[in-house]
Amino acid sequence: MNWVTIIWSMTAAASLTLAGVHGSLWLRQRSQMSSLMFCIMATATAGMAGCELWAMNLTDMESYAYALQWYNLMRWLVTLALVGFIHYYLGSGRSWLEWTVCGLRTLSLLVNFVFSPFVYYTSIEELVRIRFIGAEVTVVEGIPNPLSIIGQVSLLVLAAYLVDATWRSSHREHRPGAIRVGLSAVFFVIALSLQMMFALWGFIDMPIVASLFFAGIIVVMGFELSQDMLRAAKLAEDLKTREIELRMERGLMDAMFESAPGMLYLQTRQGQMVRWNSQHERVTGYSNSETAKMNALDFCTEAERDILNQAREHAFTNGGNEVEFDMARRDGSTARHFFRMVPVKVAEEPHLVGIGIDVSSQRALATETERERERMAHIARVASVSELSSSLAHEINQPLAIILSNAQAAQRLMAHEKPDFVELREILEDIVTADIRAADVIKRLRSILRQGKPVLESVSPHSLFDQALRMAQPDLRSASIEVLRKHSKKLPIIQADKIPIEQVLLNLIKNACEAMEGNGSRAKSLSLMCINEGIWLRFSIKDNGHGLRGGEQKIFEAFHTTKPNGLGLGLTICQTIINAHGGKLWAEANKSHGATFHFQLPIVPENL
Amino acid sequence: MKKPEMVFLVDDEPALLKALTRLLKAEGFAVQAFDSAKKFLAAPRYEGSGCIVLDQCMPEMSGIELQQELAQENSALALIFITGNGDIPMSVRAIKAGAVDFLIKPVNDKELLQVIRTALEKSRSMLEAKAELAELQQRHSALSTREKEVLFLVAKGLPNKQIAALLGVVEQTIKVHRGRVMSKMEVDSLAQLVLVAERLKLK
Repeated sequence: MNWVTIIWSMTAAASLTLAGVHGSLWLRQRSQMSSLMFCIMATATAGMAGCELWAMNLTDMESYAYALQWYNLMRWLVTLALVGFIHYYLGSGRSWLEWTVCGLRTLSLLVNFVFSPFVYYTSIEELVRIRFIGAEVTVVEGIPNPLSIIGQVSLLVLAAYLVDATWRSSHREHRPGAIRVGLSAVFFVIALSLQMMFALWGFIDMPIVASLFFAGIIVVMGFELSQDMLRAAKLAEDLKTREIELRMERGLMDAMFESAPGMLYLQTRQGQMVRWNSQHERVTGYSNSETAKMNALDFCTEAERDILNQAREHAFTNGGNEVEFDMARRDGSTARHFFRMVPVKVAEEPHLVGIGIDVSSQRALATETERERERMAHIARVASVSELSSSLAHEINQPLAIILSNAQAAQRLMAHEKPDFVELREILEDIVTADIRAADVIKRLRSILRQGKPVLESVSPHSLFDQALRMAQPDLRSASIEVLRKHSKKLPIIQADKIPIEQVLLNLIKNACEAMEGNGSRAKSLSLMCINEGIWLRFSIKDNGHGLRGGEQKIFEAFHTTKPNGLGLGLTICQTIINAHGGKLWAEANKSHGATFHFQLPIVPENL
Repeated sequence: MKKPEMVFLVDDEPALLKALTRLLKAEGFAVQAFDSAKKFLAAPRYEGSGCIVLDQCMPEMSGIELQQELAQENSALALIFITGNGDIPMSVRAIKAGAVDFLIKPVNDKELLQVIRTALEKSRSMLEAKAELAELQQRHSALSTREKEVLFLVAKGLPNKQIAALLGVVEQTIKVHRGRVMSKMEVDSLAQLVLVAERLKLK
């Protein structure tokens, strides 16, 4: 055993080991072409080392030539694999240079076979045994073949290719490993070509040692590749951890999606359904595959599609929104849902995420409550009309009586031999006037019943009080109530619906009368006041009766009553009437006895 | 000359007042209209027979109040109430106090005219009764003091003997007084005399 055998054997063994490692790597990951190239190059380098060692120990000319042919085949392979490796690993080589290198090397191989046995030499003079690092090795002495320049040129072009590829790679991306590989290849290739030239032209006596240079490249390449592998392994490890985390996140998200108290959804900007929970499927009735093809707007009734569309747009522009609409189910039924929506970015794309909650039962309840309330209000109106009917009957009967009597008078006049047509015309005019008046009363009565808008007309506050007092007169008289009118003579004309306001006044006066029934020795006194407060005209009805039973708020509640036969609706109706006029009705307890009811009506400037 | 029968209308509604006036005039009634009870009271009282068609519901003074005022005057005018609503207690009160009827608006002409005729009839008889009473009072005032005393005691149902004892005269004198009283009061029997005394409220 000498050093030459040890070094070359170890070089071959190391190259084969690396080839094996990367070959098996390539088998598992076929796309990694750099691994395949590395494997070929390392195998061929091992072959080269073998051929060199073989040649160094041969003594006959023929065998030496044979070994050299095999050696050249290996070199050809190494060169091609190196170009391939750089091509795939750096990805920056110029292809024309690659083809040139490969072409020159192939030409060199062909020449080798044509001029067999010796491409390097035109003639071999002798095989010489020389001492090389402590061992006797065989070298050739002869006249160098000019064609061997092809091999030298191919080496130089290879060097140029490597420099260029490394340069371009370093400019394109930051990969220190790639640059190290490129530079070391350049270094070893240039060193090899120098060594070859010196050896060939006889400047130094030395056997062929190209495999060692290529082995150098392989070591650097192997080192970098293993670094890459380590990094990849680390990355894979990280990915695995990340995946476990993601899986956990995903599991958590799924659990949240499914356990949410309603429908959860994720949609694209355009409304394409991305994700949804099983609740969504249950509510809509659409299967997952159907939902996947649907748009958010498809789940909304036709009538409310615009509302939903606007709500979605608003959500995107304002960072969130809420909307309520009827969900259109697969079976054609609907269910009222409340939706909250928040814009989110998923994979850089704007999406809408949110939750939908079934509110149909609440809405139904609300509707029912509303209906009940309306029904009560209607009953209240009807009841109040019947409560107030005695005075309203007067309002209606009056014009009817006028019409009837006029008409019957006319009938009698017509029976005369010479009817008085002037008189008849006047009668007809009076009938028309009375008829209009009756219709007017009915219209207003209806407006109270239906709770329509008040029919406003110019009314003097005095006339309102006069009329109310006229209607309340029997009660006031029979109960011996002293009435004090404290308002000034000069009051503005207001815009009001006369009859309802009179009813309010009458109602309040009647309440006051009833509140004073148990006064005993205390003289019953009713004060009517009307004060101009600028934008409001305030009417006040003050008594000295039993005061507010049940509190200032409670008395305005429907069906609250302190009267044995009362429905407890009067004040509710009064309030509704005053509110419809844009006014306000309230009550306060007096300091000594009784209560005062106030209501305000707006004073509209006449020039308006 | 006998005064014509008058129909007075009292209602605060001018249009209705006008319509009723037309109707009644077309039927040939003499009509006078007032737009308030106060104005009617303030006007000189009509002495002939007549009736008042009265709105119950009026400001200031109601129909019932007017009725009370007229009752104190011992008027011979019959009352007919008209009202916008049928308040039963009110109508009962009015009828009890002597109203002829209590009509609900709107009033049919036939019904109204019928009631007016009844009322006028009542007024006439009231007026007659009033005139008769006045006559009786006149005759009564023509009696001497002693004759008035005898009439009073006879009307009380005392026999002649007892009256004579009470007045301190003989029975024969009482008989003479009684005969004079009967001729002055223009009655033929004791029974008639007792009735007259009753009408004069001598008891």
